[in-house]
Amino acid sequence: MIREPNALDVLYLIAAGRWTLALTALAFFGGGLMGILVMLLRIAPAAPVRWAAMGWIQAIQGTPLLAQLFVFFFGFAIFGYRVSPWVAAGVAFSIYASAFLAEIWRGCIEAVPRQQWEASAALGLSFPQQLRYVVVPQAFRIAIPPTVGFLVQLVKNTSLASTIGFIELTREGQITTGATFRPFTIYGIVAVLYFCICFPLSQLSQRLERRLHVAR
Amino acid sequence: MSLVRLEGVTKRFGQLTVLDQVSLAIEPGDIVAVIGRSGSGKSTMLRCINALEPIQGGRILFEDTVVNDPATDLRKLRQQVGIVFQSFNLFPHLSVARNITLAPTVVKGIPAAEARRLAEEVLARVGLAEKIDAYPDQLSGGQQQRVAIARSLAMQPKLMLFDEITSALDPELIGEVLKVLESLARQGMTMMLVTHEMGFARNVANRVVFMHQGKVWEHGPARETLGRPRTPELESFLGSVLH
Ligand SMILES: Nc1ncnc2c1ncn2[C@@H]1O[C@H](COP(=O)(O)OP(=O)(O)OP(=O)(O)O)[C@@H](O)[C@H]1O
Ligand SMILES: [Mg+2]
Repeated sequence: MIREPNALDVLYLIAAGRWTLALTALAFFGGGLMGILVMLLRIAPAAPVRWAAMGWIQAIQGTPLLAQLFVFFFGFAIFGYRVSPWVAAGVAFSIYASAFLAEIWRGCIEAVPRQQWEASAALGLSFPQQLRYVVVPQAFRIAIPPTVGFLVQLVKNTSLASTIGFIELTREGQITTGATFRPFTIYGIVAVLYFCICFPLSQLSQRLERRLHVAR
Repeated sequence: MSLVRLEGVTKRFGQLTVLDQVSLAIEPGDIVAVIGRSGSGKSTMLRCINALEPIQGGRILFEDTVVNDPATDLRKLRQQVGIVFQSFNLFPHLSVARNITLAPTVVKGIPAAEARRLAEEVLARVGLAEKIDAYPDQLSGGQQQRVAIARSLAMQPKLMLFDEITSALDPELIGEVLKVLESLARQGMTMMLVTHEMGFARNVANRVVFMHQGKVWEHGPARETLGRPRTPELESFLGSVLH
């Protein structure tokens, strides 16, 4: 039974967009916390710790996100654990984000000149103190554009969660298309909604960057 | 007891031997000028003294602490040995005041108000009291370098190391920094400075160390060593910098 798309369909799409936002937020904060830890391990003075962090990053960056999602959703089911699409997607996307954010932030930390480390070491600061007072504040401004760039990618990548039955923007689009058979119209609306999420993020990033630049 | 002793110190970067069996003692109150050609190991020697570089042979003593002993608390050592670099290395995101108070507050635990007074005091010593709330990028090179000196002084070190601290400055700014060094010297600060300013070495330093190919090639009282070089290497070095 095929029907015409109506205003209610658009409302449902917008409502589904909330789950896109929620999954993005979960992945960004979960992945961000994990990412900070992985990044710290990645730059730690002890070499074996660095190797472990590097292994983690390589394993995640070197495999498709879709495969990671399937591992958490179907993989655990094989061992008799039923995981909901929410849990599987939340965990998989957080882990995915942790590897990329760790690498982005490591790059920003390393962009702070070596002399800043030396000068602060020569004053007697410990490694955590050097990070906290000297290096991280300088890395922060450098980190904003690539971090927001990744966040925008993350928003779009959450559409992959539709494959494990997680109902977000793309999945809702599929469902609506199934009912109306108007893929061009429906996916057009879906695309516009993604844009409405991503565009303000980029704008915010530019504003923040300018503000921090003025406040040096 | 000497303040610093280097005993047969050897430092390598891979295959390259940069310090070759260097032995040297610095007494409290000494002002030691270190001179020598580019690549002779002057900076490296300074950096080894506060353990910014590890050494491969010999030992370095600061008072009775063995600097190169892995068990030594480097943070404690570095509170007593200040270093100022050619490139200033101020923290660009912090005000002059915070550049100076950072280490006293977070390393030594001095309360903020007291640290602020300390900052005022050391800034006055380098003649920059009015710049306390400026940011590094609002200062000239000479002013930045004086702030860097003040930042080190605020830790009340027993020894100050200066690595070519006027080399990155425009000629008209060199004088103001040298004046600060002279006043520190008059106040009895023990210092070791790598410099290309031969006039300064002759007039302010009491001892001169000439480095050549990673070795202490010649050393002795400043005027005598610079006035009557005993080795052809020092003679030709002095000839090349004076003309
Ligand atoms: N981190 C490093 N890695 C490898 N080689 C180094 C390193 N630092 C210094 N060197 C080498 O060690 C030698 C001595 O360097 P050093 O900086 O101590 O010389 P210098 O006497 O201070 O010279 P300049 O007057 O140019 O500052 C040089 O050959 C330099 O290339
Ligand atoms: Mg040098």
